[in-house]
Amino acid sequence: MQQTLSNLWHLALSTFIEGIRHKALWAIVCLAIVLTMANIFVAELFTWDLGKVSVEFGLSSVALTGLLLVFFLGMKILADDLERNRIYLLLSRPVAGWHYITGKFLGLALILALSTIILGLAAVLSMQYVLWQYPSFVPPNFSWLTYAMALACQWLALLVMLAVSFLCFSFASQPFVALLLAVSTYLVGQNMELLRRVVLENTHAGILTGQIKMVMALSWVFPNLSLFDKKLVAAYGFAFSGQEFLLLGLYCLSYSALLLFLSTLLFNRRELA
Amino acid sequence: MTIPAIEISGVNKTFGSGRKKNQALCDLSLSIAQGEVFGFLGPNGAGKSTTIKLLLNFLRPDSGFLRVMGHTVGQEEFRNHIGYLSEFPFFYDHLTARETLLLSGRLSGMTKQALRERIPLLLERMNLTEATDRRVSGFSKGMKQRLGMANALIHNPQVLIFDEPMSGLDPLGRHLIKNIIIELREQGRTVFFSSHILSDIEDLCDRIGIIHQGCLLYAGGLRDFLTAGSSLEERFVSIIKERDHAADPL
Repeated sequence: MQQTLSNLWHLALSTFIEGIRHKALWAIVCLAIVLTMANIFVAELFTWDLGKVSVEFGLSSVALTGLLLVFFLGMKILADDLERNRIYLLLSRPVAGWHYITGKFLGLALILALSTIILGLAAVLSMQYVLWQYPSFVPPNFSWLTYAMALACQWLALLVMLAVSFLCFSFASQPFVALLLAVSTYLVGQNMELLRRVVLENTHAGILTGQIKMVMALSWVFPNLSLFDKKLVAAYGFAFSGQEFLLLGLYCLSYSALLLFLSTLLFNRRELA
Repeated sequence: MTIPAIEISGVNKTFGSGRKKNQALCDLSLSIAQGEVFGFLGPNGAGKSTTIKLLLNFLRPDSGFLRVMGHTVGQEEFRNHIGYLSEFPFFYDHLTARETLLLSGRLSGMTKQALRERIPLLLERMNLTEATDRRVSGFSKGMKQRLGMANALIHNPQVLIFDEPMSGLDPLGRHLIKNIIIELREQGRTVFFSSHILSDIEDLCDRIGIIHQGCLLYAGGLRDFLTAGSSLEERFVSIIKERDHAADPL
């Protein structure tokens, strides 16, 4: 047990160190900080709802950056392990397949947490400036706590996407195929809730009419990423209960754990030629 | 009777399927005693690296079994007995030499205290002391090979498996690695290594195995293999040609 925890910790730590020293990470973070600061100028283009625009823009920048990190940095680190045979360095030791998958996941999750915090703070600065400049546009129930919870939800959504990319990586023969599958899953996941509601609530849903069972089944298979999108909630200061936040956390945890379990099963069957 | 350090029995391995089917290993059986330095020889594509990857459980045999220090590969944990150096050792570019060895040592179950003492000794032995805290991305091919050797030795394993350990090394580097293999033999470790450099095999090995097109052509003592007056190179070339001729007399 102690050796297992030690393996997970050292794999996560080495992935984290490798990631934060990677130029690609800082290029993406710098780009995102510039983008977040552009918030100040973008918000001024609008004549109403400046507060909402500012909060949404800030959170969107964080989400976009996180996705770039998952798709490019995270998947690059995994692909390099296989393509450049770095994985031999690890798997010639008493390291089980699930240690490798989980350790890498935890390391990348830490990188995503760090970048979310940095970008979230950069967004706070720009939002604070806009809200200070235009106090009349500050939503009446706006709360920084809700903003922080919305930011945490963005991170949870990124963890789900990271787990999806691990699954794609564990069975795809080429990194590019894995990337394509992960991006497609993201697009489906973003629209899953909308599709589910269209089928459930609309009797004129075109070819989807009567396909409730199929759509419901798909909604259980694909991640429901729109649940984690709390930009509007943060922008308008709507109620966001701790219970909902907790449930989202549990959803992320259970869905990611299941995908990592499947990834490990597939990875263990794979030969490292 | 002591158990063999490495035992390979009736191993077959095929890659691909249908027309692209390629028999990489054909009924390979080998036994290497503890404390032996065994040289594994063969032309390119003969099946040397495939055998090594099977020993490390990176690949799985179609049939047959492999054992390391009595532990069946793929069924029991055996990797803490093994130190492995691949032909082209790749590392995490942004980790330093110290961090790389620390990671490997910790994954092998070593304590921090033990590593604190062992890492500087190994890096000094590999002439890498000055590069201790440099990132591996700035290392030359030879430096990476020497770091790979330190990495294989970090947990003081019983069995060392080296895939072309002299690859990419300058004469000084080759001399260093040869001395290390001699030291390992003196310490009673088992060394299984593949190489194209026949003079190194002649200098270092007690026994050799020759593999060609996935089939083992010879396994036994080096002196028994060399007939009077002939060099290892001459004997190696002649046995490969004999095999090719037998397979395709035209």
